[in-house]
This record gives sequence, C-alpha cells and structure tokens, in this order.
Amino acid sequence: MNGFAAFGVLAALVAVATAAGLLWRATSGRARTVRRAEVVQPGEVGTEPFGGRATLLQFSTAFCAPCRSTARVLGTVADDLTGVRHVEVDLTNRPDLADRFSVLQTPTTLVLDGAGSVRARIGGPARAADVRTTLDRILGSDHVSA
Amino acid sequence: MSQPETVTGPAAGASGIDPRSPRFGAGITAVLLLVDLFLALTGATTAAAVLLLAIALLFAWGAFAGIQRHPYGLLFRSLIRPRLGAPAEREDPAPPTFAQGVGLVVTGLGLLLFVLGVPLALPVAAALAFVAAFLNSVFGYCLGCQLYLLLVRARVIRRTA
Repeated sequence: MNGFAAFGVLAALVAVATAAGLLWRATSGRARTVRRAEVVQPGEVGTEPFGGRATLLQFSTAFCAPCRSTARVLGTVADDLTGVRHVEVDLTNRPDLADRFSVLQTPTTLVLDGAGSVRARIGGPARAADVRTTLDRILGSDHVSA
Repeated sequence: MSQPETVTGPAAGASGIDPRSPRFGAGITAVLLLVDLFLALTGATTAAAVLLLAIALLFAWGAFAGIQRHPYGLLFRSLIRPRLGAPAEREDPAPPTFAQGVGLVVTGLGLLLFVLGVPLALPVAAALAFVAAFLNSVFGYCLGCQLYLLLVRARVIRRTA
C-alpha cells in the first residue's frame, strides 16, 4: 500500500473511532424506564438493607474507574433524599447477578422503588440530574398511589 | 493478570492517582499505534514489528509494575501536571493497570501471530489497540469495564470470597 492510501486508512480509522466515542458518550449514563417489573429482594444481592422509598442498586467491578465516580454521585443523591439508599455490589463475586440482569458493562445501576421493583436502568456512568429526575418520577407516583 | 485484594467502593482515598495521567499516557500510546499502523500498511514491516514490541513492553511495564510507575506517569507528573493544577478527584490505580494488561494481551497476541506467520496480525492488532487507547484518552471510555465483566460472566475470573 502506498503512503497516500495508508493515510486514508488511518483517517478512516480515526473517524470511525470518533463516531463510536461520540455515540457512546451520548447514550451512556442515561436512565431508561424498565417496563418488565422484576422484584429484587435485599437478601438476593447482599447484606445491606434497601431504602424504604427507593434504592439505587449499583453493579460494579474492581477494575472500573467510572464505578467509583458513579458511587460518589449516587451516594450524594441518596443522602439528599430520605428513604433512598445507595447499595453497591461487586459482580466479581456474583456472576449470577450479572447473568440475571444481563449486565454487559459496569457501572450498571438499577433504580428500585420501595417494593424492590426495577423501575429504571442506567448503563454507564450515572448523571446526577438524570438520577434525580428518575427518582422524582418514582417517588412521585409513590405518593399518588399511597 | 494480577488480582489485588482491592476493596470496592470509595476505597481510592488520598493515595489514588491523578485520573488525567492514564488518559495522557493513552494519548501517547494511541499516537504511537497510529504510527505503527502506518508503518505496517506501507510495507515497513520490520519497523512496525519493532515499534509494536516496544509498545507491548510499555504495556507490560504498566501491567506488572503498576500504572503509578509507568514512564508516561513520570512524564505527566514532571511536564503536564504542573501546568494543570490539582485534580478534582483521585482515582484507584487498579482500573488503568488492568487496562494496561488488556493492551499487553492485544499487542502481544498480534506480535505472536505475526511471528507465527500471519502478517495481517500486525496492522489488525495495532488498529484494535489504537481504537481502545483513543477512546480511553479522548472520551474517557473504559474498555476494562466491559471486558472484565465478560471474563467474570464466562466464569474465567472467580474470586473466593
């Protein structure tokens, strides 16, 4: 291959990688509403109790830098709201949970309501504003039904 | 691959590393891999193999000695860090160290296949490693976050807890 064509290949590679990066940044960390309401009990994931009104259940691994920042974001959000708890589970010891919830990346966060039903799912680094909006919706509907 | 008994959660503490340091290093790696790909594509095969070996050895340094002792980290601390100011937060060195291991496996496999008589392995390994290093450097993408979990789910990694 001559130098000119090789430069073309390099440019195409950089373009594809940039497009993939932009797509990843735009889609990751967004809370998606879960329709199929699966119920999670605290005993199934560990020893920590869930929140009375909502729980931010975060799946992490030891080799995941964004898991740490997500833990800080979710911890701060949970501390600001009564009855909301942040629970972090290391999937290294629990591949069964990774299988059960089809976790393909860490961090992945499940937003549970007071009954432990999965209401939303966040794949990738969680965004504080997005988490608050999701919790407002869940806690709001909680009030309506109560 | 090393598996330190890392505590999960906010265990990074004050002893953590500047998160910008591994991304700076990944940027250098990405540029080197792009140069390597160019050499491989233009027929400078020996030069490409030697450069990929050098890159693989640098990955091995990070993977085995730990990301804190990587030469790019020293470069970052002496040249870049004084111009940037203190980091907003510190980070556990385990994730970027794992990423160095991933880089070592990809470039090492490429070199091995090349030595065994698969010439295409050289540009393919350089391109794959480039995409990972580029996404890590520019977008903060963490390949280990996906790969490590795949190994866990394939039951390759199991920790006795």
